[in-house]
Amino acid sequence: VFSVHMVGEGSVSICRSAGKATSSPAENYLLARRRTLQVVVSALLTESGFESAEKAAVETLTEMLQSYITEIGRCAKAYCEHTARSVPTLSDTVVTLIEMGFNVDTLPIYAKRSQRMVITAPPVTNAPVTPKALSAGQKRTHPAHIPSHFPEFPDPHTYIKTPTFREPVSDYQVVREKAATQRRDVERALTRFIAKTGETQSLFKDDITTFPLIAAQPSTIPYLSALLPSELELQALEETDSSEQDDQTDGENTHIALDDPGADKENSMLPPSGVVPSTKASEDNVIDNPYLRPVKKPKVRRKK
Amino acid sequence: MIKLNSKQCRIYRVRVNDLEAPFLYNDPTLEVCHHESKQRNLNYFSSAYTAAVSAVDPDAGHGELVIKVPSELWKQGDDLKVLKVYIEFSLDQPKGGLHFVVPDVEGSMAERGAHVFGSCDGKMKIFSCHRFWFPCVDSYSELCTWKLEFTVDASMVAVSCGDLVETIYTHDMRKKTFHYVLPIPTAAPNISLAVGPFEILVDPYMHEVTHFCLPQLLPLLKHSMSYLHEIFEFYEEILTCRYPYSCFKTVFVDEAYVQVSSYASMSIFSTNLLHSAMIIDQTPQTRRCLAQALAQQFFGCFISRMSWADEWVLKGISGYIYGLYLKKTFGVNEYRHWIKEELDKIVEYELKMGGVLLHPTFSGGKEKDNPTPHLHFSIKHPHTLSWEYYKMFQCKAHLVMRLIENRISMEFMLQVFNKLLSLASTASSQKYQSHMWSQMLLSTHAFLKSISNVSGKDIGPLIKQWVDQSSVVKFFGSFAFNRKRNVLELEIRQDYTSSGTQKYVGPIKVTVQELDGSFNHMLQIEENSLKHDIPCHSKSRRNKKKKIPLMNGEEVDMDLSAMDADSPLLWIRIDPDMSILRKVEFEQADFMWQYQLRYERDVVAQEEAISALEKFPTPASRLALTDILEQEQCFYKVRMQACFCLAKIANAMVSTWQGPPAMKSLFTRMFCCKSCPNIVKTNNFINFQSYFLQKTMPVAMALLRDGQNICPKDVLNFILDLIKYNDNRKNKFSDNYYRADLIEALTNSLTPAMSINNEVRTVDNLNADVRLILEEITRFLNMEKLLPSFRNTITISCLRAIRQLQKNGHIPSDPSLFKSYAQYGHFVDLRIAALEALVDYTRVERSSAELQWLLSMAQNDPVHYVRHKILGMLCKNPPFTKTTDSALCNEALVDQLWKFMNSGTSHDWRLRCDAVNLYYMLFGLTRPSCLPLPELGLVLNLKEKKAVLNPTIKPELGVGAPDPVSLGVCGVGQPPQGLKRKADTPLGSPPEPGQVLQQQDDDGRGARYKIRVRHEDIDMETVHDSQAFIHHHLNLLERPSTPGTHTHTHTHTHTHTHTLIAEYRNTHTHHCRGHYIHVTSYKQALDNKKKPAKPGSVRRTSTSAGRG
Repeated sequence: VFSVHMVGEGSVSICRSAGKATSSPAENYLLARRRTLQVVVSALLTESGFESAEKAAVETLTEMLQSYITEIGRCAKAYCEHTARSVPTLSDTVVTLIEMGFNVDTLPIYAKRSQRMVITAPPVTNAPVTPKALSAGQKRTHPAHIPSHFPEFPDPHTYIKTPTFREPVSDYQVVREKAATQRRDVERALTRFIAKTGETQSLFKDDITTFPLIAAQPSTIPYLSALLPSELELQALEETDSSEQDDQTDGENTHIALDDPGADKENSMLPPSGVVPSTKASEDNVIDNPYLRPVKKPKVRRKK
Repeated sequence: MIKLNSKQCRIYRVRVNDLEAPFLYNDPTLEVCHHESKQRNLNYFSSAYTAAVSAVDPDAGHGELVIKVPSELWKQGDDLKVLKVYIEFSLDQPKGGLHFVVPDVEGSMAERGAHVFGSCDGKMKIFSCHRFWFPCVDSYSELCTWKLEFTVDASMVAVSCGDLVETIYTHDMRKKTFHYVLPIPTAAPNISLAVGPFEILVDPYMHEVTHFCLPQLLPLLKHSMSYLHEIFEFYEEILTCRYPYSCFKTVFVDEAYVQVSSYASMSIFSTNLLHSAMIIDQTPQTRRCLAQALAQQFFGCFISRMSWADEWVLKGISGYIYGLYLKKTFGVNEYRHWIKEELDKIVEYELKMGGVLLHPTFSGGKEKDNPTPHLHFSIKHPHTLSWEYYKMFQCKAHLVMRLIENRISMEFMLQVFNKLLSLASTASSQKYQSHMWSQMLLSTHAFLKSISNVSGKDIGPLIKQWVDQSSVVKFFGSFAFNRKRNVLELEIRQDYTSSGTQKYVGPIKVTVQELDGSFNHMLQIEENSLKHDIPCHSKSRRNKKKKIPLMNGEEVDMDLSAMDADSPLLWIRIDPDMSILRKVEFEQADFMWQYQLRYERDVVAQEEAISALEKFPTPASRLALTDILEQEQCFYKVRMQACFCLAKIANAMVSTWQGPPAMKSLFTRMFCCKSCPNIVKTNNFINFQSYFLQKTMPVAMALLRDGQNICPKDVLNFILDLIKYNDNRKNKFSDNYYRADLIEALTNSLTPAMSINNEVRTVDNLNADVRLILEEITRFLNMEKLLPSFRNTITISCLRAIRQLQKNGHIPSDPSLFKSYAQYGHFVDLRIAALEALVDYTRVERSSAELQWLLSMAQNDPVHYVRHKILGMLCKNPPFTKTTDSALCNEALVDQLWKFMNSGTSHDWRLRCDAVNLYYMLFGLTRPSCLPLPELGLVLNLKEKKAVLNPTIKPELGVGAPDPVSLGVCGVGQPPQGLKRKADTPLGSPPEPGQVLQQQDDDGRGARYKIRVRHEDIDMETVHDSQAFIHHHLNLLERPSTPGTHTHTHTHTHTHTHTLIAEYRNTHTHHCRGHYIHVTSYKQALDNKKKPAKPGSVRRTSTSAGRG
């Protein structure tokens, strides 16, 4: 039984995610197999003289057995494919067993042992049918340079690109117009939404919906939001920085302009502001500043 | 006796050299006037306040805390040995001096960003308020070295003056002690402290400089401070002197008292000065603040003033070197523009409010010698100065320094500074020789001496004119060209009679641009000569092809067709270098102003030309302004000013204006896309000049009006389009200021609504344009909640717009929105903007509820700056004034404000002065007109005309307190000797007026009168013509509320006795006796040749009154 099983199982990959309480045909099939394995394990246990076993132990052994068989199957399949065949032969299995350290010679004797229990074959259930993939369109036939034994082309929708957009509008005016309208719509929708879901203030006593103002909420640390640039701005800044890198010919001017808005540029010799000279930065560890020194431990006073 | 300054502190014990010493603590400024007066007269308050401040003036050796040195130690004191004074004190919930900021959130103090700092204004170093947090001699002239220890929570950093020697944990390891040593002698007001969970940044260029900011702001700090080393280098270079302290610390705190305050080796800044690299507008402002702070480190902290009268020197020098920094960093144009701005400011202030005196001298301390009688406060002490006045004082100080520079050259000027600094630094290194330290104090005298030593020049007249004398000069100029003599006849007149003006005699420079070039002429302004003949160099016939040379050597082609064919004059400038503190009103033809605008290269001349052209709305002016606007070489601030002038001209020319609205095509050409001119380019603010122009132009355009006096539809749509198409995605700078300005433009476009029968404003009857504007404002305001802009500039603009909509009657006038934004917990700029709107609402709607709301916030808000601002804005935009009638003006308000300035503001000098200002603005110097008229006073006034003659009499007297002499004396701050004291006041403590007044109050409750004697008006010693005197008083008595003829005043007064209380009869007798005594005391005074009356007699007087 064992060997039959083994060979039979070889080509079947066992689904390990069978934890769900569903009863699709595929699941039923697998459950039946598993039940048979359990019977096998129980039989072997009885054979070895166990009178009873904990369910967990049986489960564990089943699992081990299943893994073992699966591994044999996988290996045998690999051997067979290695030799350009598609179905494993006996010799593949034998080699596999040897490879896994199993003494094959003992197998016939073991099979013919007297106390062997006969186990009924697993119930005949339909092998799981892989649902057919949705096929759309006409499959392409092989062109002349591809031999016919090669797999068929997949469905066309998996590799054919279908242009679904119209020609983009490249007129500058329209683009700007659209961008502006879109941004305005988004902003209005967003602020209206927030106004609807929160507290509002109104400029008119009689009508609080036409111009809803989101209520002013005092914050605990007001200067943070007022001074720190928002995430959005920072992001935008990064983008402009990177996009400007390629045409950054007047980069130096930019920095100097930052240094003295408005007037004469006398300090073009100086390094751009905001950029710490790298030599200095690397010396940071040798800076002796009293505020960077470690805090001293208190002295133990002698007098009490 | 040792006298120290101390306020708010609870003092437990005092020991001198380990001996317990008795001490007394008395703070007369807690409550300025102790008695319940019905008069509420500001004149009286001011002198009482001055007296109170004088009584604890450390420069005069006074103080709130008087320690009696135990007799055992007297010997030591006589031997000039050191006495060690040990004071055990605590400070519990201080209201002023130290400011705690503790955000109300979960978490430890450090997580909440709680911090505390010395909230004194180092910038306005006048209000030395260190006595608020520790007992000291609160004077700039008392130097000593310091050893400071601060024990704070382990999560905090304590930043203070001097070198941090070490930081040690306490035994439980929960706290740290910071040990500071300041070896350079420093006055107590230059000591400060800041404690908080600061992030620490060691300056990458100068490792001895450390910056501190509140948590999460480190990136901003890094950026904002990346420039500081250049300022250091600049000052050290021009002063050829190292920075005097061994380290420097900058601390950025929230809710700062002022933006910048400098202390010995540290400066405290407002955290709102920090900014990221994306912000354009804040960058120069922050750098200016840093430069100011650093200039004050040299002059103000390291070298401090000898006395209050010398303050101008230090403010002048620090302001002057700050100006040099501006010139170097921002350029000559910016510098000259700034000088002009400052000059205009001071001129405007002095002409409006009266003179600003830099170097007041007080002889004898008599009220009569008050050098600034036009002011409603005393300038004898920094603590009594109005804030506005002090700002102008600083402004004038640095302008005068610049005048000195003009006189002696910059080189000498810097040599003088260098000399002062090196003397001071030599002195500071003399460790144990405190007598040497006086070199670190600068007096006017020493400064002038140093100038004359270095330069060898006599600047006496200059000092006399601008420093010892207040006021500015006002010139009127006009000219005629005499063709026959080829001479320019210039007439320069002066107005030196109106308030705030003085006469100028001396040289003045006049620059004449002729066809053949530019020529300077030095004219001498003399007593009686008005006309000056200036020979012209060029013939009027002009050579057509020749280029015209300008002052700077440049030669330009000009279209000369506009000018007068007979005259070679292109333009004339009077005092082009601003070397006189003056206002010039000069008349020249419009084409001359146009030439001046186009071709004169000095920005000051261009700005003057622009303001002059407002009066000439002609196509030629329009062309000149448009040309300037387009000229990229032109200074951007001139171009910005030209925008506004152009708008004004366009409005004046509305019927003849040709073409599109002013500036529209220009803006389109400069900032809009080539292919679609109605769409603005995506923002790119790399070029700051055009950025500022782009910001300004829409604001100016919105001021345009059409024939119906409303903003043209074209313009409004144009601005709405700018908002719509604004796209900042590709910009490396933030556009928040730009967007804020676009909202301002919308605001400017508003005109009063057409109102039919005062209908209620509802959404339905909203004007279509206003609806569009309101849409934008709503959206901006709401977006700001989600993505706040830097310093909430956009919300601020929106609030202003909403107020403007309300004021113009488009939407219902309602203060509730502003109230919610004015609450504590919003960003401070935002709060101020909301409060400004509320102040305006209060005035327009005459709402007493809002006024009360504002006043209660001014009394209770946690942020000093906001309280100061509320009062300041109420002064600028008062709900009513002393000359207008208003239902708001009532007794309750008078009482409230009086109490506020009398006792409610004792912890904050600045706020008290603000309150005094407001009181002055609302009620004037004399009795507020809404108070019931005093009755008896009039009788007394007439009868006592002789008593009144006493020069020391105070304007307000109790009838029953016939003690004018003592009152008067103490009113000007000379403690009268031998006065009855409070039982617990020991001998030797300065008797303060409060005590005396209270006592007088007991005597004469109920019947008070006020004599409106303005001693400054009458020279008491010379007025002997009683007739004239009576007349004078009768004039004063003529008020709307006192009908009746002069001659019957006596009887008339009796008809007004209905408000008198029952005691009146009694008091009336007092009055008679008092009257008598007055006369005697006056005689005494006369006999003694105006010496104060003998103490004995005074005391007798008051006793008798009490008994009666």
